[in-house]
Amino acid sequence: MTEVTRRALLTGAAAAATLPLATGLPAEAAAPPAGAQAPGWYRYKVGSFEVTVVTDGMGRFKVPDNFVGNVSKEELGKALTAAYLPADSMATPYNPIVVNTGSKLVLIDTGTGEAAYAQSKGATGQLMTNLAAAGIDAKAIDAVIISHYHGDHVNGLLKADNSLAFPNAEILVPAAEHKFWMDDGEMSRAPAGRMEGLFKNNRRVFAGEVMKRLRTYEEGKEVVPGITAVGTHGHSAGHNSHIVASGSSKLYVQADVTHVPFLFVRNPGWHAMYDQDPAMAEATRRKVYDMLVAEKMLVQGFHYPFPSHAYVEKSGSGYREIPVPWNPTI
Amino acid sequence: MMGLTRRQLLAGTAAASAALTPFAATPVRAAAPVAGKQVPSFYRYKVGELECTSISDGARTFPMPDGFVRNVAKEQALAAAEAAYMPKGMVTVPFNPQVINTGSKLVLIDTGFGPTPNAPIGLLTTNMAAAGIDPKAIDIVVVSHLHPDHTNGIKGPDGALVFPNAEIKVPAVDWAFWMSDENMAKAPNKMMQDYFANTRKVYAGLMDKVTKYEWGKEVAPGITAIDAAGHTPGHTAFAVASGNARVLVQSDVTNIPELFLRNPDWHVAFDIDPQKAVETRRKFYDMAAAEKALVVGFHFTFPSIGYVEKDGSGYRLVPIAWNPVL
Repeated sequence: MTEVTRRALLTGAAAAATLPLATGLPAEAAAPPAGAQAPGWYRYKVGSFEVTVVTDGMGRFKVPDNFVGNVSKEELGKALTAAYLPADSMATPYNPIVVNTGSKLVLIDTGTGEAAYAQSKGATGQLMTNLAAAGIDAKAIDAVIISHYHGDHVNGLLKADNSLAFPNAEILVPAAEHKFWMDDGEMSRAPAGRMEGLFKNNRRVFAGEVMKRLRTYEEGKEVVPGITAVGTHGHSAGHNSHIVASGSSKLYVQADVTHVPFLFVRNPGWHAMYDQDPAMAEATRRKVYDMLVAEKMLVQGFHYPFPSHAYVEKSGSGYREIPVPWNPTI
Repeated sequence: MMGLTRRQLLAGTAAASAALTPFAATPVRAAAPVAGKQVPSFYRYKVGELECTSISDGARTFPMPDGFVRNVAKEQALAAAEAAYMPKGMVTVPFNPQVINTGSKLVLIDTGFGPTPNAPIGLLTTNMAAAGIDPKAIDIVVVSHLHPDHTNGIKGPDGALVFPNAEIKVPAVDWAFWMSDENMAKAPNKMMQDYFANTRKVYAGLMDKVTKYEWGKEVAPGITAIDAAGHTPGHTAFAVASGNARVLVQSDVTNIPELFLRNPDWHVAFDIDPQKAVETRRKFYDMAAAEKALVVGFHFTFPSIGYVEKDGSGYRLVPIAWNPVL
């Protein structure tokens, strides 16, 4: 008789309260718990290129009132619950990648910065430790490509002591994005609060040694051999995504075309508070995702759960990401 | 010039041309060499006070054999695999044993294949080492059922016990089934004959040393055996519980979710009593979905943990988001 009953499934909790099994052996402790997560990196190939996803960690916070500008708190709460989160809580992963093209070792985006590691008690700012775990020497990075000038993408350019995190790397930034954030007129018109803070942060990061290594790149052109910039404005004024191509293989590194997929891939019409021009961001999002679906192109999403590598399908009025199955060998 | 390969010649050509421009403003240099090595596949999660580690034994991708799904046309099964982005004509099956530290016992649930030359499986002990788990520290090995991918890892290639200090616990009903000479004589096909032979080989010398466990009871503190018969006569799932937290270790209630959770009525070739397996699957997943239970699946994609939702006439697996901290 099959006895998968409700009682059998519930029984675990009750049984746990009973005394340990009488084994006749003296009570002994098991090996001590490890108390640490596995190293947060994962590899896959795009043609002959080797991609290493290196997580910077995951930020957890109470959802602010205006988190999704055009959706009620109740509706947002429902979507969070559907993603198995508490209705008022967000979990945002940050996942930079390293691409070894054979001729260059390239980091795309840098995470929240080493200083965040101590501030968050290790929850974020993990890039440097996970790079080391992956056997990647920060000094060996030849180029850092920045998608846009938000703190979780640029702060990792600097270490906790404000020295360069990647001292031998050229820093490649989108020309339109750089122009916007370095424009004093734009800064003077920035609304108080978040935008004002972003300007201040960018003036802090993009100074000194960083500026000496900085080169702007143009949309529609190769930033380094095999990695092409695509203008995907809206999330920020000069936001860029990147197509990594080798042989017949292609990967769409979307940066923040969507924020977390369980909210904004499912609901591309939702406007995250991080989108500078929400209408333009939505138009970009729909265009990019329609293309990903049509081309069956793999996406690498900065705010997708690690290892943040997925296929995208249409689903109802939005889209759904199908994570690429973990490959235990490469 | 003996043994000079085409690759070396080409490499030499590249090196020579690079060497011709030593005084360029930016020196031409190759990137760091490709690593060519995957991260050790283990993942930690807590169930109340218990520390659990999902450890990959690897994954196999192979041409889908005829009869892989017994009760649907092969084209239909292949279409489902392709819809799940498996390579055309192929099927991918991952294998994921679990280690549970109950505080008083270090427990391994299922063992994988054991070392398997020239195959991307049998990785359990390598990945355990990366996770800092010493095979000698395992106190109890619990086997969910006596199929090779779940039990063969108890012995190394030399026949020695891989977990030398562990009590080996097997489901009493499965043991009785596979150790019956009468059943072996009646084995209906090559696959079943091989399974009978394998079970006897693996447990040679251990016949009197294994502990047979019963359903509805704890196999280790906080880990309760659940009757999930059908896949094999003694196939067992587990409820792992601590405080208010609980996960269900489904073992092989479904084989790969891309096919058999989406289509719970499909009969995988390995289900011994397919009708009963379907019944078990539907009961198990109706409850798991209703209770929003976290489920660990031996054949789910690593880290093999997810929630299950009703979807049409079947179910859909929603993998948990990887937690970068424990």
